[in-house]
Amino acid sequence: MDADSDVALDILITNVVCVFRTRCHLNLRKIALEGANVIYKRDVGKVLMKLRKPRITATIWSSGKVICTGATSEEEAKLGARRLARSLQKLGFQVIFTDFKVVNVLAVCNMPFEIRLPEFTKNNRPHASYEPELHPAVCYRIKTLRATLQIFSTGSITVTGPNVKAVASAVEQIYPFVFESRK
Amino acid sequence: AHYAQQQLVCAACGCVLAEGLLTTTYADEEHLREVAYSQSTGQKEQLSRCLLRGIRRVQDLCKVLQLPTVFEETAVSYFQRALQHPSFHLVSLEKKELLGGCCVFVTCRQHNWPLTMGTICSLLYAKQELFAGVYLSLQKELELSVPALSLADLVTTHLNSFQLFQHGADIPAAFVEDKEKMVARTMQMVELASETWLVTGRHPIPVVTAAAFLAWQSLQPAGRLTCPFARFCKLAGVDLPPPAHLRLKELLDILLRMASQLAWLKVFKLDKKTVVKHIGDLLQHRIFLLKNAFCLEGEEEQRAAGEGSAGESSPSSPAPSGEAAQEPSAGKRQREGGRRPLLPPCLLNPRKRLRTAALSPADAALTGDEPISDSEMEQYLRSPEEMRALRKAKAWP
Repeated sequence: MDADSDVALDILITNVVCVFRTRCHLNLRKIALEGANVIYKRDVGKVLMKLRKPRITATIWSSGKVICTGATSEEEAKLGARRLARSLQKLGFQVIFTDFKVVNVLAVCNMPFEIRLPEFTKNNRPHASYEPELHPAVCYRIKTLRATLQIFSTGSITVTGPNVKAVASAVEQIYPFVFESRK
Repeated sequence: AHYAQQQLVCAACGCVLAEGLLTTTYADEEHLREVAYSQSTGQKEQLSRCLLRGIRRVQDLCKVLQLPTVFEETAVSYFQRALQHPSFHLVSLEKKELLGGCCVFVTCRQHNWPLTMGTICSLLYAKQELFAGVYLSLQKELELSVPALSLADLVTTHLNSFQLFQHGADIPAAFVEDKEKMVARTMQMVELASETWLVTGRHPIPVVTAAAFLAWQSLQPAGRLTCPFARFCKLAGVDLPPPAHLRLKELLDILLRMASQLAWLKVFKLDKKTVVKHIGDLLQHRIFLLKNAFCLEGEEEQRAAGEGSAGESSPSSPAPSGEAAQEPSAGKRQREGGRRPLLPPCLLNPRKRLRTAALSPADAALTGDEPISDSEMEQYLRSPEEMRALRKAKAWP
């Protein structure tokens, strides 16, 4: 098996986190009273609202900042955020959908081979950090992409990055290094 | 600095005749005692109390662990550098206390001195999560390169704490073992474990403990096979970490598979207890046995494909040679059936995970800017009756 040959790797996006602002103050008690699928966390001052389609959980603060998690693609995240803004509009708030940004993408990828972690760490200092006493995976950071990869001995890799493109590039970048230390 | 002034004194009346003859010649000062800077007031005046306390803690830790002086100097220098760094200067006192321990830990790792996080955390009375956080940020901020824990050295150090090498009141005579033999055999067991994916990603100490137990049992199986793992650890004066039972099971599984390939053991039906008697032989021939007992996944597929084609071609050839061709392939298949790919244990019995299905074509065509109809949003609003009921129930004004 040659590292340069085309290997189709399935990168499965498991979570996309995005934020947006409503540019207006939100009355959390009103949302808790009049909104369905809502949990009011009075002690921390936020409201959790869950949408069914797309399956998204939103954290809403009274300042108008909203964080949405649970989407499986950037487009789905945007749609979910807009749906949420719409539902807030229906509740009577003067919502303007602004400052939408995808802040974090979590994806999982499976390599078709096992990986020797001690060897991989030795070959990839200082980017790689392996502490079996703390965590079973190697933590590899790519500064330029602001991405972090967790590489397990089974070949499974968990990637977090600021957007889907960064995540895909990270996987592409790590493949040759991981291939070197394969079993 | 501590300084004594010379005075010319009359022997009869004792009055001072001459004084203030300040001199810095070595001849005058050779009678002065040498005081280390760290113990004089000079250092105390220059360093902050927090730094002094921290340095003293680092020095105490090094003394308790009986580390060489070089380690102490390195650890103190790391501590001073770290404390000047903004990310450590303003942290809580609890973290500053841990910082000293982290510096000692890093120094030990850099000199391949096998110190585990568990040991340091117990000496500092610290939570491992907090220690881990401080350790990782120390590594990042000071850009320190910390080599991996050396397993061979860890085996030697961990076995040093076992109390089975000398006769004692609690220990039956049959349980006492020679240290050199035990260390050598445990080292071989640990190497076997690391070749068969039992060490990667796991805590090292449970593996070493389980390997030590099997090594100890195999050196004199007669009296020791009936001794359970927990009792062994209690007699040795060592903690039994919870994962050690699983590591023991995994090691025994590997040994049983290897034993099935050893010619003179094939006739016996070995189980977890009886295989211990033959650990010496198994370790001696482990390279050969591992190759035969386990196979790589790719090889397995190739051989299966080869067998398939051999099976197809045999009916066409004349009967005797066809039978001859079938027998070795059948024999091979039987041996193949015993083989198992050499994989990390979690891949051998994969737990079914609920993975979200791949995006359907409709979902894949999403742009995020589709229009949203009112009817869709109705489901997220409570009806007036619901609101009234909620108000009544919660007694909201």
